[in-house]
Amino acid sequence: MKILGISAHYHDSAAALLVDGLPIASVQEERLSRRKNDAAFPLAAIEWCLDQADLEPDSLDAVVFYERPLLKFDRVLTCLLRSFPKSRDAFTHAMKNLLGEKLWMRGIIASELGISGRKVIFTEHHQAHAAAAFLTAPTERAAILTADGVGEWATLTVGQGERHAGRGTDIKLRRGIRFPHSLGMLYSTFTAYLGFAVNEGEYKVMGLAAYGQPNMVDKVWRTVRRTPDGAFALDLDYFEFQSTVARSYSKRFVDLFGPARSPYDPIDFDTQDGQRFADIAASVQRVLEDILVDIARDLHRETGLRDLCFGGGVALNGVANARILRESGFERVFVPPAPGDAGCALGAALYADRILLGNPDRAFPDHPFWGPSIDVEDLVRLAREDGLEAERCDDRELVEMTADDLAAGHIVGWMDGALELGPRALGHRSILAAPHSTEIRDRLNRDIKYREEFRPFAPVVPVEVADRFFEFPRGQLRLARFMSGVFPVREDWRDQLAGITHVDGTARVQALPREMEPRLHALLEAYGRRSGIPVLLNTSFNLAGEPIVNNVVEGYSTFRRSSIDILIAGQSRLAKRRVQRPVVREEQLA
Amino acid sequence: MLEPLYRWIWSDPGRRARKLLSFAVVEADGGRDLVRAAELTRDPLLRRLYLAHALDECRHARLFRGRGVELLNDHPPNSGNSIYQADWLAPGERGLDDLQVEREHDGDLLAFLHLSERAAARSFAQYRDALPNDPATREVFEKVLRDEEFHMNYTRAQLSRIEPEKQRLYIWRARLSRLWKGYLRLAMALAGMISGVVLRVIYFVVLPPFAFLAKRSAREETGGWFVMRAERDMATAKQEQA
Repeated sequence: MKILGISAHYHDSAAALLVDGLPIASVQEERLSRRKNDAAFPLAAIEWCLDQADLEPDSLDAVVFYERPLLKFDRVLTCLLRSFPKSRDAFTHAMKNLLGEKLWMRGIIASELGISGRKVIFTEHHQAHAAAAFLTAPTERAAILTADGVGEWATLTVGQGERHAGRGTDIKLRRGIRFPHSLGMLYSTFTAYLGFAVNEGEYKVMGLAAYGQPNMVDKVWRTVRRTPDGAFALDLDYFEFQSTVARSYSKRFVDLFGPARSPYDPIDFDTQDGQRFADIAASVQRVLEDILVDIARDLHRETGLRDLCFGGGVALNGVANARILRESGFERVFVPPAPGDAGCALGAALYADRILLGNPDRAFPDHPFWGPSIDVEDLVRLAREDGLEAERCDDRELVEMTADDLAAGHIVGWMDGALELGPRALGHRSILAAPHSTEIRDRLNRDIKYREEFRPFAPVVPVEVADRFFEFPRGQLRLARFMSGVFPVREDWRDQLAGITHVDGTARVQALPREMEPRLHALLEAYGRRSGIPVLLNTSFNLAGEPIVNNVVEGYSTFRRSSIDILIAGQSRLAKRRVQRPVVREEQLA
Repeated sequence: MLEPLYRWIWSDPGRRARKLLSFAVVEADGGRDLVRAAELTRDPLLRRLYLAHALDECRHARLFRGRGVELLNDHPPNSGNSIYQADWLAPGERGLDDLQVEREHDGDLLAFLHLSERAAARSFAQYRDALPNDPATREVFEKVLRDEEFHMNYTRAQLSRIEPEKQRLYIWRARLSRLWKGYLRLAMALAGMISGVVLRVIYFVVLPPFAFLAKRSAREETGGWFVMRAERDMATAKQEQA
């Protein structure tokens, strides 16, 4: 059975293809269109996915869209009516938007793909999140928690999933919290208030939080309260996202927290305002964590299960994820590599396959590499055309040379195999560097990533030795497989890992198993033999404002426009002229 | 002829700041389009030129942004200056923002870039001349203009190189395409205005009773957990049957 999943029209549109219950391909539209957070109908992603299985659209058995447009329309209209007459501008904007396109998804999909509308089916948004979290995790039974800005009505759901041997799969979402009461919207409102772009700058709030003290928690708790049944509700007097498009917080919010930050002002922690913004970030982060931990703890008590699968955009908050693992009572927490809307394409396809169509469960390959692969010949050609020389090496030589390059302080663009699904670079499209000094971090921020100084970089470490450098609760490394948790760097190592240790002594570490990415694993080991520390700084291979690179041509263009010293694509190596070639000795290859 | 108009538009420092910041965004977008063009072309010389051009656009974005922020700091938005941007009357390099690089042949792209850079250079020169009392902003325009001249020249020269026979045809096609895009922008704006008026009438004439009912139902909602609705399960069952 061939099923295509689609997510689109909000942010991060994507497509995913399942054949007989197993994923064949999945990619975000932005990686192909090269427009960051591209929300357009993912035609290029769909075409690429179908090409991988050599399929025509009419041979698909079903096309699944990741939410119900009519239910979404119901929510938007109801909320606009509830804030009449304040919603007059938002009404015009929303109706043009929904009636112009988004409401007619069945017809749009049918006409874009040239298939019958009967083949198009829908899941609910949070069902797709739940499926992306549970059906990709190596667990038989698990509690499920999903949380994001909003889907149709639900903003957070809890439930349970179970795989029955030979009897199909169950996902039951028992209860939820409805818009406008939303943890995602709460966090996004503070993101906007702190001068960052919504749906993009939430990472920055998390990074900024480490510089502040949560001394405004009481104020944040005025904007959100706990309900007697253990859920939460926003005090809507502080918010405007439900009624206007102009801004998400109200005048009362500004009266409570002070003037908002201009997106153009740098954050200077030596000023009163700079520290105030950091404190606000720390406070909202603390409140978000407290609410999530309480909900997860209740869910653990209620289900008695060992495992939790957590999906939705809020699951990108690695600090909160680590606290859930530490404090909720669950032994293991699974967060997929793409917990946000991009992963919903895969989630919707899986939900349709296992739940709606009742197909038997299949073990899901435990890696994130579902996108296009690289063509190494491209690098050789491009280099030759530009008068440079790319060299071909065998795997062992390449690994040893790259380890030498990294030990010499060079910054390496690393491309290998198929592109990752999701926002993290997990070893196939990465920029790698030595993790020991703050100078290299500052150089990366200043010359390559062009981003704020307060944002940390993540490390990657072989899973076998991860515990030596980082503290994992009860030795649970699973959250670190896809860089989904933020954990303390062990105190003894913080000075030697200054480039990846955040100001609060933590890092969003990736603990890499050999079988997931053998070449990067070998590189970590080779680097460890030189430095005594098999840890590398690993950040996504892109420049500011651009999506992660997909093919070699894009990697090469990024290499040419930035201060990356060396580009590795598969078994090809290209260095800037100023970089000296390391000499690999026989004993290193032995 | 438009000089008094430009002087008026650029006289307000707050508006000047916001216009420069919007130019910065457009230049940065244009830079990304050029990077894409560099990635897609099979011509090595064009690739190098597009990349150099893209780096120039990024530098322009930084210049515009830097000066815009300076002006904004000197004249904060709440100091009573006008918020009317007059974007239609004084656009930046807007030709690049709706470019579909993937669909353009190198000849079409070069012709489009040539005309776009020429139009931008003309506009920036007029804006510079409208700012006799703001040397810092004038200097930003001066710097950008020097690059625009190079961009105009290289795009024309490369068009002659790769399409010596059809270069005039490409230029004319690009002119018509710009006209068509201008018409589409106007038509979209007009359609947006008409639909806005119609929706506004519906909002105030048809919706009030429904708004009353919606507000009443909202008062009955207590917040907290809700049980996932049976309707959803029915919809799921219907899909399963289908």
